Amino acid sequence: MAPSLVRIRKLTKTFGEGETRVEAVRGLDLDLERGEIVLVMGPSGSGKTTFLSMLGGLLRVTEGEIWIDGTDIAALSERELPPFRARTFGFIFQDFNLLAALCARENVEVALNIAGERSPGARERAEGLLRGLGLDERLEFPIDQLSGGEKQRVAIARAISNRPALVLADEPTANLDSHHGSETMRLLRTLAKEEGATVVIVSHDERLREIADRVLWLEDGRFRALQALVRDPSCGMLVDPEQAPASHELDGQRFFFCSRGCRDEFLHDRHTHTGYTQAATTGRTP
Amino acid sequence: MTVPLARRQLLVRPARAFAGLAGIAVALLLVLALKAIFAGMEQRLTAYISRSGADVIVAQQGVDTMHMTESALPAGAVAEIRRVSGVAEARGILYVSTLIERDGKRAIAYLVGEQGPRDPGRRAIVIDRSFGAPVGSIVSALGRRFRVVGELEGTASIANFVAYVSFADLARALRSPGIVSYVLVRAAPGVAAETLAVRVERAVPQVTASTREEFLRSERRVVGNMATDVVNGMILVGFVIGVAVAGLVAYSATLSQLRDFAVLRALGLRARRALVLMLAQVAATVGAGLALALLLVWLLALLLPQLSASLALVVRPSDVAQTVAVAAAVAAVAAAFPVIRVARIDPASVFRR
Repeated sequence: MAPSLVRIRKLTKTFGEGETRVEAVRGLDLDLERGEIVLVMGPSGSGKTTFLSMLGGLLRVTEGEIWIDGTDIAALSERELPPFRARTFGFIFQDFNLLAALCARENVEVALNIAGERSPGARERAEGLLRGLGLDERLEFPIDQLSGGEKQRVAIARAISNRPALVLADEPTANLDSHHGSETMRLLRTLAKEEGATVVIVSHDERLREIADRVLWLEDGRFRALQALVRDPSCGMLVDPEQAPASHELDGQRFFFCSRGCRDEFLHDRHTHTGYTQAATTGRTP
Repeated sequence: MTVPLARRQLLVRPARAFAGLAGIAVALLLVLALKAIFAGMEQRLTAYISRSGADVIVAQQGVDTMHMTESALPAGAVAEIRRVSGVAEARGILYVSTLIERDGKRAIAYLVGEQGPRDPGRRAIVIDRSFGAPVGSIVSALGRRFRVVGELEGTASIANFVAYVSFADLARALRSPGIVSYVLVRAAPGVAAETLAVRVERAVPQVTASTREEFLRSERRVVGNMATDVVNGMILVGFVIGVAVAGLVAYSATLSQLRDFAVLRALGLRARRALVLMLAQVAATVGAGLALALLLVWLLALLLPQLSASLALVVRPSDVAQTVAVAAAVAAVAAAFPVIRVARIDPASVFRR
């Protein structure tokens, strides 16, 4: 059996010291296979972004190891990290993070330049990727003249331009309507299955479950078993019953809420919510 | 070839880029134009000696300039100098700074009493064209009237101009018979000016003999001393304005590009290359500002003399080099804060919203 692309052991990140010390990520263990799509969900402040930043070599770990294709990135120097990032990772951001000064084609080409590839190869690769994503007519368009869906396709082209082993996507569908969100999901799925890239998605978007091979729930810096979580009947968020800020028993059934506001809303309008159940979501834990 | 990132980022807001380089250009122009004006004034004020044809200028002991100076030598010194080995020609001149008047118009002139081929003749004067006294007109100086018989060009500065009269006329007007102000000496073929100056000082008592170059250097020093404080003040003003404009432009551009820099760093751009990218933008802005300033001062040097004959702008390579140094200093100081900001960029900030 081929070794995992990513092996994370006892990954910990703390910020501050003394009374202000915050443990954002606590001793995570995780293995990711090649071509796997993993969706990491969790409430705001749960450590998702910190986890993604460390996995992408953008943030130093406090403790632990992150092995990617045989390299412990926690042990790489500041000098070694940037070229490793350029070769190994593709990043997709919620707000696209495209460079407004460049056209669509140049946004992709510049990532290739940073990875060490020069024209004309870089230019041809950038154009080929954008054409493959249906942007034939938009190659030289300034970024601010593209729609949200087009911007995300440019961002995806940039993310995969260097043929990365690992694509890290932060809320990739958050700024897109349902049509473009679905299109982005399809592209990510294709990317993983056809290019063999491992894709880690951090998101609140439930729709992304459709393409994920695995869904992880991160809360308080730890992965939790999804079977133990229940859905807030008011807003649909997943809630840990042990730490839910509010709950209510109705007709012999206990409901858990992500906030008191959701509970109040539920009680106010409970007749319309009677269809909700306490059903736990599916998915396997790390 | 790679994507020209620095150029693209610089031109993403053309109005800001142009305003920045225009501001820098104005600041550098202040430095460059003022230095060119003083260089022009210096050139005009030394025009007489430059054109005199003399290899050595002999003056009263301790005197090595004409401006703001008086020199008096006994007329016999001319004959003594002629006897010095290596002297081809020696002629005494009288020199005085005085007012020249015509039809109520008055101006300060360096009036030179000439003998020999430059002597314009009795009661005649050769005067700079800028004074506006055409040939045939009458001007008065030192209480005497002179007919204009010729015109000079390129001796007028904002301070004064040069005029020639006959030695005898000026001697009478000054009531100083038997006196010369300076002796202009031409060396015989094959005799170096430096050697001749030394010989003259040895042979003739109580005189100072300077080569033309030494004399001109002293003259320039006098003009320079008059201008130094003004020029240095203006260089400081230009530097401060340049730093303020370039710094503001560079800092605001960097602030607006912080996200871009963070993205580039996340994509794998090394910190050093990010700094180079930012510095290239500052350098390009200051460089373009410098180029515009040079173009403008060149245009001023062409146009100003058309407006006023007493204004001359001379752009010297040394002044251009000094302005380039000022521009480099402006760029260095202006880039300081942006460098700190870019160096501190956290690539993980790309995930923050």
